[in-house]
Amino acid sequence: MTGVRVFITGAGMISAAGEGIAAHRAAMKEGTCGIGPLTLFSAPNPMPVGEIRDRFEKGYLPRTHRLALIAASEAMQGVSDPPDAVIVGTTTGGMLLTEELLKQGVREPDRFRYHGLGTVAQLLADAYRCTGPQLTISTACSSGTAALKIALELIRSGKAHRVLAGGADCLCRLTFHGFKSLQLIDPEGAKPFDRDRRGMSVGEAGAMLLLQGGSEPPENALAEIMGCGLSCDAYHPTTPHPEGIGAAAAMRDAMADAGISPDDVEYINLHGTGTRDNDLSEGIAIEAVFGEEGPPISSVKGALGHSLGAAGAAEAILCALAIKESVMPGNVGWKTADPQIGPRPIASSVRKDIRTALSNTFGFGGNNASILLGRAQGSDGRAQGKSGKDRIDQKGGLAFRILGTACFTGAGDFTSTLDQLERSGDCRGQLSLSEISEGLSPGVARRMKRLPRLALALGMRAWRAAEEKDPLSGPPSGIFWGTGWGPLSETHDFLTQLFQSEERFAGPTDFIGSVHNAPAGHLAAHFMAQGPNITATGRDVSFEQALMCAGMLTEKKDGPFLVLAADEYHPELSPLFDPNVGEDPAPSDGGGAFCLERAAGEASKGLKLIPGFLGAGAVGSEGIAALLDRMISALGGSDRIKADFAAILAGIPAHFRKEGVDQLGGFMERSGFAGPVIDYRKAVGEHAAASAVAAVLASSWVQQGKIPGSLVKEGFLLWGAESDFFCLDGRGILLLGLGHHVSAVEVMP
Amino acid sequence: MEKLVEELKIKMVDTLNLIDITPAEIDAEEQLVGGKLGIDSIDVLELVMMIEKDYGVRIESKDVGEKVFASLDALALYIHQKRGEALN
Repeated sequence: MTGVRVFITGAGMISAAGEGIAAHRAAMKEGTCGIGPLTLFSAPNPMPVGEIRDRFEKGYLPRTHRLALIAASEAMQGVSDPPDAVIVGTTTGGMLLTEELLKQGVREPDRFRYHGLGTVAQLLADAYRCTGPQLTISTACSSGTAALKIALELIRSGKAHRVLAGGADCLCRLTFHGFKSLQLIDPEGAKPFDRDRRGMSVGEAGAMLLLQGGSEPPENALAEIMGCGLSCDAYHPTTPHPEGIGAAAAMRDAMADAGISPDDVEYINLHGTGTRDNDLSEGIAIEAVFGEEGPPISSVKGALGHSLGAAGAAEAILCALAIKESVMPGNVGWKTADPQIGPRPIASSVRKDIRTALSNTFGFGGNNASILLGRAQGSDGRAQGKSGKDRIDQKGGLAFRILGTACFTGAGDFTSTLDQLERSGDCRGQLSLSEISEGLSPGVARRMKRLPRLALALGMRAWRAAEEKDPLSGPPSGIFWGTGWGPLSETHDFLTQLFQSEERFAGPTDFIGSVHNAPAGHLAAHFMAQGPNITATGRDVSFEQALMCAGMLTEKKDGPFLVLAADEYHPELSPLFDPNVGEDPAPSDGGGAFCLERAAGEASKGLKLIPGFLGAGAVGSEGIAALLDRMISALGGSDRIKADFAAILAGIPAHFRKEGVDQLGGFMERSGFAGPVIDYRKAVGEHAAASAVAAVLASSWVQQGKIPGSLVKEGFLLWGAESDFFCLDGRGILLLGLGHHVSAVEVMP
Repeated sequence: MEKLVEELKIKMVDTLNLIDITPAEIDAEEQLVGGKLGIDSIDVLELVMMIEKDYGVRIESKDVGEKVFASLDALALYIHQKRGEALN
């Protein structure tokens, strides 16, 4: 046995069907329906939802955070060691609380401190003393499964041994009214795969899993995660591909990843939302992959509702239980077979010994994820899947060759930004919408507000920059998108219209556009990019997260892919959500994009981007020192840092200035680095995608071998001597992110 | 009716942000969804909301929706009839 296998050694879950694993085990056997009237907030025409009732008290934490914490505390029961990483799939974060605050007219930024999607992972990491990466994946309804996929690859790669991963989402006005505006809610409650189905029931859940790597299953293993596949329809923002090609690709990919064939799959847990289009295309996809006589199938969304970002993690747990308990859950709500759909679900639970279960989740933006669970058994009877070795060559290290770049700052595009930096060093501000939209077709751009336009234009430009050097064959093999705050204009306009009309009118276009992964969906559709489509989010390290995800999800055989991050400044919401923007008088936004391919290793020739380190949550001077030492070691030690880097670009978000400056002092002392350290946020402005811009600029300077003198001056220099012209002498630039999160990205010649 | 059709053309361009189309260019008899205006199911839902807001006419069921949105003329006729019913 060569590869690392990944086992579920802890699981916790809360949903409309109950709290705790035991409650769900019983609910799945009995076919309990948790769907009922909406009581959490008032709505003019309430529809049935999968609401969790009276099971937990109100507190200062937002509901999604509490759901995540309840699930995590069950998953972490009896475990004293902190996990090496925390990965959460979520789409709403603190939205329910934000809605209430906005309705009340609250304008104090501190009250919105839990708004960001990344704060859920942060809360869990802090609760379990995790100082490793905190990743937040927001790929709409496939978020939970995508989070598990990243966790799986992180463990396979050897970069983590134990990962707390899952998903959480609570009911909120945005999603409830949003799905209602799309006429996707069944007024009678969801009845997936039924002939008379009329839509879904929005639900809520927290579902967390503790995953652990090893060659043989630990005694307490609930099940094994054998493989997981991701794909993108690249077809339409909300409607699945009518023939389910993306869904079929994800299922095939999951089986290939696990090293098994369709005949080995003994149960399929459907995405099965209950909408006409989803169920139809999922049925077609299953028939295409498994033939007419496929394994038993069922959806639990008629019992639990659709808990969006939590659904994938929740259903992975239910599949693990199905294997462990030898009971497949029934398809609650299903009565009449739909003649248009080949495969028919099992109506009520069936006792059967099963060794494998495949669970599907599909989401907006055409995001598909399929995860394969297996009985935790010794390696003898188990098929051999891919191992981490296929993805990361430990000896050569993980490195990306830079094929093309693009950026937007207040000064303009890449060229204008470089020119402006040479002149004054100040590129803060915002480009006009028309400048961003240059080159976007009006028919495509008409449904996009600021952030998706930034993202699409950046992606197109980075790809074109690569093509100008060397023609690229085929579309990007993956899209890895980071955003700190998501599409704020769409979110703002949706909520404003909703509140002004006393919850009577909700804009469908704004709802679809408000999800964090909408820009990535547009990119996929533009390029017809059907590979992994990942949206990572978490304040100021969203770009770094996207880059790390690219490292986990691409292989050397894959063609070029896009890694990009952008954020928009919204005059009303940005000052409330992002504590950094209020500290700079010049509102700024923009982003940076890279067209990359996997390099043969760190030592390979050509301009390279290397994800170096991601950590957070260190407490006290000792904790911070340990975190910095880990970062220095991940970068190859202080001698390597001194020899290979000529300069540091440091990103210290204004709100975390003091912590960041202290951390930098610690880094300089411990690494012995003596070159200049440039405070790049002073040049590109305070916004969550500033590091993506800095990475693009660094790649240009490393290529030219020099940094403009305008930046090696007082006002920009955090460390080192002023200079009119700073030569890099064939060395690289290290990008440090400091503050709450600590990150390192290398740009090497 | 003609006034309503002209009004709907303006509202449609505005609601759907059809930046490269002027109201005058829209042919009221032409197929609305999937036609050359590039209108899809999401746009239809956006128009459903606009019609309820501005004309007080609700278009609920998807089946009715498809018929109602066959063309701009059909839409105008539906709004006209529903408002007439409401007045009676």
